[in-house]
Amino acid sequence: MKKRGLGVGCMFYGIGFGFSRQDISAATIEICEDGSVIVRSGEVDYGQGSDTIFCQMVGEELGIPYDSIQLITADTFTTPNAGPTTASRVTYVTGNAMVKAARAVKETMQSVAEDILGEGDLVFMDGEIRSEYPDKRISFRDLAKTCHARGVQIVETAWQDITTKDVDPETGQGDAYATYGWASQLAEVEVDTETGRVEVLRIIAAHDVGKAINPSNVEGQIEGGVLQGMGYALTEEIVQEGGYLKTGSLGDYMMPTSMDTPRIDSHIVEVADPDGPYGAKGVGEPALIPTAPAILNAICDALDIRVTELPANPENIKRLILEKGKEEEAS
Amino acid sequence: MQNYQFHGPRTVGEALNILSERGDGCRIIAGGTDLIPALRNEDILPDSVLNILEIDELTGISEEGDTIRIGPTTTFTEIIQSQVIKRSLPLLVEAASSVGGPTIRNRGTIGGNICNGSPAADVLPAVVALDGELELQSKALGTRIIPAAEAVEAPYQTRFNRDELLTGILIKKLPSETRYAFEKLASRNAMARAYMNISIVLKLDEKGAFSDLRIVPGTLEAVARRMSAAEKILMGRQPEDSLVEEAADAFVGDLAGVWIPDYKLPVARSVFKRVLKRALNGSGVE
Ligand SMILES: Cc1cc2nc3c(=O)[nH]c(=O)nc-3n(C[C@H](O)[C@H](O)[C@H](O)COP(=O)(O)OP(=O)(O)OC[C@H]3O[C@@H](n4cnc5c(N)ncnc54)[C@H](O)[C@@H]3O)c2cc1C
Repeated sequence: MKKRGLGVGCMFYGIGFGFSRQDISAATIEICEDGSVIVRSGEVDYGQGSDTIFCQMVGEELGIPYDSIQLITADTFTTPNAGPTTASRVTYVTGNAMVKAARAVKETMQSVAEDILGEGDLVFMDGEIRSEYPDKRISFRDLAKTCHARGVQIVETAWQDITTKDVDPETGQGDAYATYGWASQLAEVEVDTETGRVEVLRIIAAHDVGKAINPSNVEGQIEGGVLQGMGYALTEEIVQEGGYLKTGSLGDYMMPTSMDTPRIDSHIVEVADPDGPYGAKGVGEPALIPTAPAILNAICDALDIRVTELPANPENIKRLILEKGKEEEAS
Repeated sequence: MQNYQFHGPRTVGEALNILSERGDGCRIIAGGTDLIPALRNEDILPDSVLNILEIDELTGISEEGDTIRIGPTTTFTEIIQSQVIKRSLPLLVEAASSVGGPTIRNRGTIGGNICNGSPAADVLPAVVALDGELELQSKALGTRIIPAAEAVEAPYQTRFNRDELLTGILIKKLPSETRYAFEKLASRNAMARAYMNISIVLKLDEKGAFSDLRIVPGTLEAVARRMSAAEKILMGRQPEDSLVEEAADAFVGDLAGVWIPDYKLPVARSVFKRVLKRALNGSGVE
């Protein structure tokens, strides 16, 4: 028989290292004589898309297309230390360093532009610096050239420190993290009671990310996280025998494949964080945290069986179904 | 890292010469999807490897009267896409479609699946259920034909001689109205070793009684074989529910040496009934 169930998982998660552990990041922005922009930061993009959003942020501040920016990252020889890509911290801490550095160079460029144009209230947009009068504007490129000719400093490094206070050592009370991500996920599953196999039909994932700098990146993070959470819930297992690893390859360690991927509906919730860049927080780890609880709750809804040991693979689910059958027979 | 000599013959004749000279130390490689991992793990230590993928005679699907001949180096993808197989041996399409993922199906061959002799093979049991025969060639014995059911002696051990090459898989076209079903149970939907697979081929007479029935599970026992106890109960009778239950008991009772029996035995009973029902409800080949 096939039984369906619904389950919810909720979480909140601290962004950054928290607990008074040092949490710093840096970015350097240089405006070259020809108007090109070079951004340097030690932050690693290992697929989560931070390179893209850094360019978006700098482009937003300087009013230039994000794809015109040159980014140099993760090179200890040339980039300032930004700390690691962990703790769902990158957008929040390095993003802030990017915005700060961009605003610093912009301030210098703006004062030069005001001097050239003889106007205040300038806006940086579409590769130009504009006043309210159409004839009083200068291209970003020409302004950069003038800045170099005048010898003003248009290289800036910004430093962002989100190290928090520790919690009270006696009571454990306090605000351990700089900010928090919040999320709820709902899982719909179908359990084959004959084989013990659980099929995830759908995941609905709502994540408060503060502000989605790049919504499709955020969706990508949520979808990837959901699949990791699904693998954790249903199939992934490290098996050892006598101290030897038995699941040492991806042929033995069962991650979900594209064929196992359910429909995933991502809902991006934007409650701006006062200290985040444009209000943004992190989503990397939060994306996978509620998935396994949501799935296990859905299994419980379907079978009236509480799974307390992972993975909820066919063998384990079938065992629990058989045990429950025996108990009911006995009572 | 191992060192071995590599042979790349272009004809069956050349291959047979090499096999007869090199004997024991030589391993045949087709798609390599089983052999390469085995070499990497040092499960096998050949002194030479003979590639048969460049031998044109060994690949492709042809009709010879009422028999279909499948070259051993025909890939799963080629089997799935073949109109001839789709029409006359659709069970094979289902079994081949369950293998790995697209990359493995593009590379892996039907001959490799049979000759590897893995208890977890998905296509070998289907070939057995289809009463397939294997054409073997060697310099010493010439050509001989054996039933696919006799190919494997023990896990990863065939009954072929070391100098023998599988040169063809011969399967009779299914008579019209023959019904069939294949199901594979695994922990995920692709790239997964089966907990079990079951192939069923059957025919009902005009009274609705079984006039032909072949039930072959894979991954349950060490070597795939027909489940004669269950077949005997059903043959000549109509598939009534109580009889199917009896056959399911016989199916499970007949299984020996099942790995993870606590899980597989009760599940095998359900999957057997499910596959049988699917076969009975199917429309059958034209
Ligand atoms: C990721 C992955 C997933 C897989 N998933 C599945 C699956 O879902 N189901 C499944 O059944 N299998 C699966 N396999 C196993 C494998 O792909 C199949 O068994 C395949 O059919 C092997 O064919 P091959 O051509 O690659 O064989 P090879 O590796 O080239 O050879 C296999 C064995 O057969 C012998 N051999 C090959 N051809 C001949 C011949 N003509 N005459 C005599 N001996 C011969 C070789 O010497 C070797 O011992 C998977 C493998 C991988 C790596």
